[in-house]
Amino acid sequence: MNQNDESLRWKLRGLRQDQPPKRDLWPDISARIAALPPRQAEEPVQRLSGVRRFAPWAMAASLVLTVGLAWQATRVAPQDPVIPREAASLTRDYQGALAQMQGAEAHPEFGVALQELDRSAAQIRAAIEHDPNATFLLERLRRTYAKRLALTQRAVMS
Amino acid sequence: MLNAAVTDLMPDAAATTAAETDNSLVRLAIGGDMQAFEAIYRRHASRIHGVIMRLVGGHGVRAEDLTQEAFVRAWQALPKFRFESAFATWLHRLAVNTALMELRTRRAQPLFDDDEERLDDLGLADSAGQNTALSMDLERAVATLPPRARAVLVLYDVEGWKHEEIASELGMAVGSSKAQLHRARQLLRERLGEQA
Repeated sequence: MNQNDESLRWKLRGLRQDQPPKRDLWPDISARIAALPPRQAEEPVQRLSGVRRFAPWAMAASLVLTVGLAWQATRVAPQDPVIPREAASLTRDYQGALAQMQGAEAHPEFGVALQELDRSAAQIRAAIEHDPNATFLLERLRRTYAKRLALTQRAVMS
Repeated sequence: MLNAAVTDLMPDAAATTAAETDNSLVRLAIGGDMQAFEAIYRRHASRIHGVIMRLVGGHGVRAEDLTQEAFVRAWQALPKFRFESAFATWLHRLAVNTALMELRTRRAQPLFDDDEERLDDLGLADSAGQNTALSMDLERAVATLPPRARAVLVLYDVEGWKHEEIASELGMAVGSSKAQLHRARQLLRERLGEQA
């Protein structure tokens, strides 16, 4: 390493600083943890309890599904291949909502932004196909759809 | 080395106490104590978010998503923590791994390199011209590096990792890690020079 490298590295070391998030992430983290299946280390305890213990879990799971929180459950199950299915379901819901909003095309000033969001959503869907265990992509897809719908609504109302 | 990278800013006694506190909280959290895990989050969030911010080039939304992801993964993986290394080191590595996994996903989809912040800016009819900042300091110059080169530079020059560790985490040869570091430093000098 030459002197320039040493000098640069010295300056770079100065970047190693703590940086708190701009918002408190704990509520989201705790919600995600609460939706997680039991950890591996806890499984043997449940196995000891047998089928009776399983039944309430199954009932709770079906309840969660019926109130539409399936997506939230899948986002924290990294080995679950259901993520692509949830992405498809999310896409259908989004397309249904978008179909209710007519007239955005009459405002070309929004065109570039809307196309950019469409392009981004397509890339995220492709990324999910490529990596079906990437739970964060599902959240990103949901966010992109939400932005697309909000912007479309703004275009329609302007 | 990595252990030193995490703790070398602390006096020894304070570091020992911090490590003991961490271990006590981890034992409680392994038993399912969410309050203990929240305490772990409060103790480490700034450091974890900091390293993730550097790895993703200062993109706030991505860094927050990945920080969340890292803590959720930490919760899941806690029973595997063996108390053989400092918990802070273990958590730091897990967070870096989380960020690098996302980097690898993005690399597999090159066109997917647009960002949440960019999307946030779209269509907001804000003509304030916020992207015209004239000064680019070192941190911002690092953020402009290509993702893979930036990751190597951040891990080696900022976080104090070894090339062997970086190569292992990034799934590349040690020689590639060295080459990426050379490239990153060269780009960084050019960009800082351009701003001078």
